[in-house]
Amino acid sequence: MALREYERDIRGCSRCSICKWVPFAQIKSVDCATVCPSISRYNFHSYSGGGRLILGLSLLEDRVELTEEVADIIYKCVMCGACEVSCKIYRDDIDVLRVIEELRFACVENGMMLPEHMMMVDAMKQEDNVFGEPKSARGDWAKDLGLKDINKEKADVLFHAGCRLSYDEGLRGVVRGAASILSDAGVDLGIAGADEACCGGRAFEVGYRGELEKYAEDFASRVKASGCSKLVTPCSDCYGAFKQLYPMVGKELGVEVLHVVEYVEMLMGQGRIRPTVKVPLKVTYHDPCHLGRRGEPYREWEGEDKLKRPSAFKMSGTRGVYDAPREILSRLPAVELVEMERIREYAWCCGAGGGVMEAYPEFNSWSANERVDEALATGAQAIVTACPWCERSFTDALEERDEDLEVLDLMELLARSLGSEPDA
Amino acid sequence: MLDDAVYREFEEVVGPDNISREPAILDGYTYQIVFNPTPSPWLNRPAAVALPCSTEEVQGIVKVCNRHHVRFKAHSTGWGVFNAPGYEDMIILDLRRMNRILQIDENNMFALVEPYITCNQLQAEAMKKGLNCHIIGAGPNTSVLASCTSVGGVGWTGISMGYNCRNVLGVEWVLPTGEVVRLGSPGSGDGWFSGDGPGPSLRGIMRGLFGAMGGLGVFTRVAVKLFNWPGPKRIDARGLMFDIKAEVPENIKLYILLFPDMQRFLDATYDLGDAEIGWIHSRNPAGMLFTFLFPGLMRETAGRPAMRSAMESIKHMVSFGIAASSPGELAYQEKVVREVIARNDGVLIDMGKLPQFESFMLFGLMRSTLSAFVFRAGGNFASSLVGEETTDSGAPQVDLGVRIKQEYIDKGALIDDMADTVWGSIYENNLFAHYESLMTFDSRDPRQQEWIKVDEEVVDELIDRKWGIGIGLSGAGTVVHKKFGPHMCNYDKWQRRIKKALDPEGLSDPIGYTEPGD
Amino acid sequence: MMIEELSGIVGADRVSKEKASLEAYASDNSFTEGCAPSAIVSPVNAEQVVEIINLAAREKAGLVPSSSAPPRFRGDTVPEREDSVVVDLTGMDRIIKINRRNKVALIEPGVTFGRLAREVAKEGLKVLMPLLPREGKSVVGSYLEREPILIPKYHWDVTDPLLCAEVIFGTGDMFRTGSAAGPGDLEDQWASERYQKNPMGPGQSDLIRVVQGARGTVGLVTWASVRLEPLPSASRTFIVAADSFGELLGLVYSMLRRKLGEEFLVLNGTDLAAIVGGDREEIEELKGRLPPWSLIYRVAGFKYFPSDRVSYQVNDIGDLAGAEGLEPCRSLAGVSEEDIGGVLDGTSGEPYWKFGYLGGFADIFLIATLEMVPSFLELMEEEAKKAEYPSGNIGMYVQPIQQGRSCHVEFTLYYDEGDEGERQKVRGLCDSAIRRLMDSGGFFSRPFGPWCELPFDRCPDTAMLLGKIGKMLDPDGILNPGKIPYRVV
Ligand SMILES: Cc1cc2nc3c(=O)[nH]c(=O)nc-3n(C[C@H](O)[C@H](O)[C@@H](O)COP(=O)(O)OP(=O)(O)OC[C@H]3O[C@@H](n4cnc5c(N)ncnc54)[C@H](O)[C@@H]3O)c2cc1C
Ligand code: SF4
Ligand code: SF4
Repeated sequence: MALREYERDIRGCSRCSICKWVPFAQIKSVDCATVCPSISRYNFHSYSGGGRLILGLSLLEDRVELTEEVADIIYKCVMCGACEVSCKIYRDDIDVLRVIEELRFACVENGMMLPEHMMMVDAMKQEDNVFGEPKSARGDWAKDLGLKDINKEKADVLFHAGCRLSYDEGLRGVVRGAASILSDAGVDLGIAGADEACCGGRAFEVGYRGELEKYAEDFASRVKASGCSKLVTPCSDCYGAFKQLYPMVGKELGVEVLHVVEYVEMLMGQGRIRPTVKVPLKVTYHDPCHLGRRGEPYREWEGEDKLKRPSAFKMSGTRGVYDAPREILSRLPAVELVEMERIREYAWCCGAGGGVMEAYPEFNSWSANERVDEALATGAQAIVTACPWCERSFTDALEERDEDLEVLDLMELLARSLGSEPDA
Repeated sequence: MLDDAVYREFEEVVGPDNISREPAILDGYTYQIVFNPTPSPWLNRPAAVALPCSTEEVQGIVKVCNRHHVRFKAHSTGWGVFNAPGYEDMIILDLRRMNRILQIDENNMFALVEPYITCNQLQAEAMKKGLNCHIIGAGPNTSVLASCTSVGGVGWTGISMGYNCRNVLGVEWVLPTGEVVRLGSPGSGDGWFSGDGPGPSLRGIMRGLFGAMGGLGVFTRVAVKLFNWPGPKRIDARGLMFDIKAEVPENIKLYILLFPDMQRFLDATYDLGDAEIGWIHSRNPAGMLFTFLFPGLMRETAGRPAMRSAMESIKHMVSFGIAASSPGELAYQEKVVREVIARNDGVLIDMGKLPQFESFMLFGLMRSTLSAFVFRAGGNFASSLVGEETTDSGAPQVDLGVRIKQEYIDKGALIDDMADTVWGSIYENNLFAHYESLMTFDSRDPRQQEWIKVDEEVVDELIDRKWGIGIGLSGAGTVVHKKFGPHMCNYDKWQRRIKKALDPEGLSDPIGYTEPGD
Repeated sequence: MMIEELSGIVGADRVSKEKASLEAYASDNSFTEGCAPSAIVSPVNAEQVVEIINLAAREKAGLVPSSSAPPRFRGDTVPEREDSVVVDLTGMDRIIKINRRNKVALIEPGVTFGRLAREVAKEGLKVLMPLLPREGKSVVGSYLEREPILIPKYHWDVTDPLLCAEVIFGTGDMFRTGSAAGPGDLEDQWASERYQKNPMGPGQSDLIRVVQGARGTVGLVTWASVRLEPLPSASRTFIVAADSFGELLGLVYSMLRRKLGEEFLVLNGTDLAAIVGGDREEIEELKGRLPPWSLIYRVAGFKYFPSDRVSYQVNDIGDLAGAEGLEPCRSLAGVSEEDIGGVLDGTSGEPYWKFGYLGGFADIFLIATLEMVPSFLELMEEEAKKAEYPSGNIGMYVQPIQQGRSCHVEFTLYYDEGDEGERQKVRGLCDSAIRRLMDSGGFFSRPFGPWCELPFDRCPDTAMLLGKIGKMLDPDGILNPGKIPYRVV
């Protein structure tokens, strides 16, 4: 699809700015009413979802050229999808996020990529990960855990760690914890180790649709070859790519895709995971975009006029994963959940997405700090999440602040409650 | 184009990050489709956009404008054609960085806000103090200040919370020539509890039935009346819209009232007004709700006689709400509304018996969240007539609006909404009523570009028949004044004079107001 | 000057140069100093008013509009220029229309409260009364002065109960405000069920707001529509006594918030005594008996279930009062429900009630929020002490306005009419008190008497803007010159 294909969507924008706000019924205070990090940080209308549509029309009609300045506007967006959720409440005929994606594809097609993104994509090309770390070290995180290597033996569940959890040493405990929890629960778990590759999602988000297609193709064949019945990942970014982006580029993995929190919740329900250790902690839960609204399964609709599109095909964010993590939290003895104001479909983004972490670290940090403030306002002792990118953003943000707020992945907290806090 | 040196002067006022002349940014302030009578979404592209964060910065910009004869226009949230620059070489002041609630005075029931506080934000904070604000029908995403000072003021809760023009207390105003005036008590440093005096009230210069739409300078603060809110500090809801589940407080009741004909709707409205009960009163014909809430279904069925006759028979439909402060008051108001309905042969549906729908309607009415559904059927909407006098006087205007609209529906220029989509609401326990005939269409469809003609026809006929003040045609501006002025005591002459007195150079964008003159 | 021309406009018998009549305008019951007008002209219709204004503009003569019968207060009608002509509008006294369904009356400026109340009562309606206006007080005049009405819940906006008006500006232009502007004339409007009920506009300004509060300096109103409300079918009045205003504050705020009660005002013992007492002696005696402060309110029911409405309100107010340790009573210290009813519904008997106590009085009035009132009371007492004026003689009236968002605070300093020394003392006290009240946050939104410049000194920017608007509406400065200081920019 090209931007042109979305011209009708764009021309439908009423410039109501609803996409700047938390869905109305959920606005609870003056401070936590906004939902779009980009407009909140950069203020000119073009930085909002609706503003991006208008920018698209300007480009389509050659009112403006795709210059560096324009690319800068396009890339100063975390692609969190919150605009899409708020707009879709009212509109059937506008796919804001798809237009935002198209703008990025246009940047790549026209050579208007950002250097940081080019480096990332180059790194992916060379080492199959977004950091340019040696491919050979990808499986190191699992050392001594005794997990099956699916390249060598069959396993029922393929555990995909993702780039960040594979290489971010600071988050080792998360990935080892997640894998151990599953295997301790008797799950037949395998990993691809050094052969695991990036999902490609981050390349797609910065405009390299072709890269995603390649990775998706490759990934699909590996999954098929592995013979597993389920693909489980502790990384929400990867989860979002599998659930939303792969189907969008026409790739189905053919197996059940689960985020680890979904799987753990299921296992808890079956009594296979029983947290018993009291962890007296007041926590708040941050919904990662890519597990929530951007993890909503994509369904292609073939019709012409989106005004007639049945709601099952609308990406409204409501089919993301919101309840499973909360259900897990509710089962952890002595853990108390206090919600922030912006949660679920309308959660505020940590700021890491859309290539912002790579190209605009200051914006990433600003967004993360906004969220930290919101978390602190609940009186929580810890902010719990289920995505390593969010965790990294918050941890880094807090490093520069003198606050008593722990950042935890839900699996880390669960591990504590299982009395099996793993070594990092 | 702005001269570089002038641009630099603006930059000095707000800092380089808060001003732009990047065409891509400027286009964000050029595009408007709502109430835009032209086929193109693009209006004039301004020369620059600035983001002042304080009254001083607004004043600084206006002074630079005066030094260099640059036109300017303020906007708060910037929705609708009223925000479009009237000229190309001007500067837009996007006030979104002025976004504070400066005060909520619990005892004296008012709030002091900056331009970029939306109705939704104010309501959420006011409720925490047992207060509520009138939200205009446009929706909770609009600026409180804008509807108080610069635009309209009608909404669902007018029966109990009035019309926003009349809800204004003190105002801070950067005049077109750059002086800062605080109307009323704050002008003398006495707090924000009054906007009038000493002596004559300059609120009457600031705005009338409509505001000056950016044509009389920039309003930077407004004290707005708040009203009693007997409900909880916060209504927690699950869900986003249709799926909303919320516990509707016991002292809040929502009803749908249906009347067999217009006369009985009118009689009941007068009775409810005289009885001084009600928190929400809004005429929402069934066709309108169907079109907005179930556009697909409507599209499929609108042509069917059975559907049409079903809609026709329930078109005199009113959403009515009670928010009572005590069990005694609740019982009294309920008893009255039931009696009024009985005496006027109406049907009363207690939404408490339909909890899912009740939750949805609670936010819809209380927070005006239903409004943006007008875009759902076709992507755009407009509204043609505004009868703003007695409740009775609106009735023939409703028929007129519906008849003219039907002609356009018949030729495919508007979406079929069963023809009666006349939204109406009453103000101050029925001091006056507001009706507007809504129309939905798809402005992307070349056949559906004619809403303005409906507007014009309705207005012309209203004037011919001497029936009322059909302020359609986007409400204001020179075109409208030319039409209405001669029939309404040449009020436009006074506006030109006001403009001349306040803005002799015509720098504050005159397009939505008027040029200076004699 | 002008006599001939004026006679040509209204007829010789409607122009007076009679010395006593002219002298009667030279001063009023305030400290305003002025002079006698050169003539009094009594037009009978708007066309004549237009001609008078045009004439005055040509002659650069002042016009002082007057709509009420004497006695006059506050200096509004005391000419400041000797060339002034008083435009006596009392003869324009038609009640043009009363409409029950829309609860509205269209009246000329000479219509008085007493008369209008009687007429509209026949339709089951009531006029929104200020506190005991004098019998000859013009309804339109009172509303144009923003004199507060007794029922705060009907005071939605400051213009209430004034709706639309026909105004002749200082330019000689005739204008109709609000929905009365058109389309169509009054007959056309009535024919399409329009009853001049929307006070806003026309268009993007609200000139009625500028006319109101202008003390006749921008335009002369030749008719106006006024908001009426239904007469109750059942009602009860109550008094809540308190030792201090502060004790009442919580109850006052909570009742106003919930729009409980109809008429609703707070008086101190002196004012209440002056109102219900007869002569000086009786008033003195009552003052001793009455509580220092009384909240007076009425609870009412209308067409539907009137007694239910009364009883839920009585119960709710009882609960609120109980929570504040207060008790609503039907009568108090010999003041009966009937006495109170008279206060709420009536006009003042003759002489005007403020004369009854000591013969003379001076008013100080301002607006403030209710919670500011206690400090103003203290301040007044201090100033009285300094001036050696007996603070027990200060009448105090607090009238919530704008549904309780602020209040009109009125101090009445009663003094012995015959004692010039006393009068000067009171004048001095007014002067020092007004200045201190202003410094303490009291907003003198309705400038009056010799102090009418002071409020504008405090808001030079507003005064500047007002100057421009004054110039626009009365370019020759002929309308009631000097009553509002339009500062030349
Ligand atoms: C879809 C839709 C529905 C509507 N429905 C209603 C309705 O039901 N009831 C109703 O009363 N109105 C309605 N309106 C009109 C409405 O009042 C304004 O459009 C509304 O949106 C005002 O809030 P805003 O924040 O969007 O103001 P903006 O769009 O920001 O401004 C509106 C106008 O006010 C001027 N303005 C804004 N802020 C300032 C300021 N600080 N100083 C000076 N001038 C300023 C702007 O120049 C512009 O002309 C509707 C408009 C739309 C687009
Ligand atoms: S994208 Fe949607 S929500 Fe945003 S301004 Fe446009 S129509 Fe409104
Ligand atoms: S995706 Fe997120 S950051 Fe980007 S415009 Fe939408 S809400 Fe804003």
